[in-house]
Amino acid sequence: MLSTEAIYFVIFTTGLAVGFGHCIGMCGPIVVSLSLSLKGRSVIVPHLLYNGGRITTYGLLGGVMGATGSYTRVVAGIASLQKGVMILAGVLIVVMGLAMAGWIPLGEIFGDYCNPQGVLSRGFRKLSEARSAVTYYPLGMLLGLLPCGPVYTALLAAARAGMEAQSTLEGFLIGVGLMLSFGLGTVVALLLIAKLADLGWLKRRDVIYKISSAIMIIVGVYFIVKAIRY
Amino acid sequence: MKSNVKVHLFAAILALLMLAVCPTSSSGRSEPPRVECDVHAGPCRAQISGTRVSLDIEPKPVKAMHDLTFAVTFAGEKPVATPYIDLGMPGMNMGRNRVILKPAGELVYRGEGVIVRCPSGRRTWKAKVTVPGVGSVEFIFDVIY
Repeated sequence: MLSTEAIYFVIFTTGLAVGFGHCIGMCGPIVVSLSLSLKGRSVIVPHLLYNGGRITTYGLLGGVMGATGSYTRVVAGIASLQKGVMILAGVLIVVMGLAMAGWIPLGEIFGDYCNPQGVLSRGFRKLSEARSAVTYYPLGMLLGLLPCGPVYTALLAAARAGMEAQSTLEGFLIGVGLMLSFGLGTVVALLLIAKLADLGWLKRRDVIYKISSAIMIIVGVYFIVKAIRY
Repeated sequence: MKSNVKVHLFAAILALLMLAVCPTSSSGRSEPPRVECDVHAGPCRAQISGTRVSLDIEPKPVKAMHDLTFAVTFAGEKPVATPYIDLGMPGMNMGRNRVILKPAGELVYRGEGVIVRCPSGRRTWKAKVTVPGVGSVEFIFDVIY
């Protein structure tokens, strides 16, 4: 059996490894969308906040797993929520793609036909305009709920560690610690992708934005279809 | 000058990503034998260094995200060390998911585990049974989501 310190290290390196392999495929489109929507502004702070939010959710889920020591029950409990988040992520990517290309101004989508003061309208507008980098933290928290194989595996480790803990609090803390370690490992790959998608150094930005918008819309629809079939 | 630096940085990051994402099967390590089987129909059978070994998973049908019992049974001699199972997807790093087995009879080892669900929709999983110091075998099978 591995020592507690060794488990933290193993799970951190697991996060690092799956970050480059798995997370790029799953979270990559979201990260690229967020980077592109910043349109040349610095990506580092918003993406650090996005990743911070994502890791916060991982930590909380790990805490629940560690405290209860029950993997399958907790996962079954959040399954429908995850499906909803996956659909929301797809819709978000589509909307950001449409808004980034300027094909459909968000003001018209939400301002004319919906209540402009509504939570949804304001939320989407804030996200797409990204005036405040702080918006990326709750977004990261929400998208941290996206169903993901390696996250499930890491949560399984948190639940197992919780089963061996002496108390509920100890199980909670170990679970939080393990998932924070895992999440920190995944940040490296996603920050690199965010930086790569930062197209500030490209000369034909308008063309790139148009192409990227089309790709984002396709990816968003793919997310929604996958979520419905999940 | 500055844009040159950025292009080099971009190329370096891209190379790093490609190195990280590319499969590592050509690392020179010998791959364990692979056996495809229908785990829903009954135990999967193979050999590890000449010793017959079977893997059974209960309850059936085998579903992802459910508590499962894994049983590894040896024919003939008792293994020199306690085996364990690593669960994963062929060609995809899903993180370490090890099933710790405990003796449950003369030649039988059992342990609890969960096969997680991949949102990509892929259902093919592998269970790599390893006897430390002896060898390993990979059982490839489909699970139900």
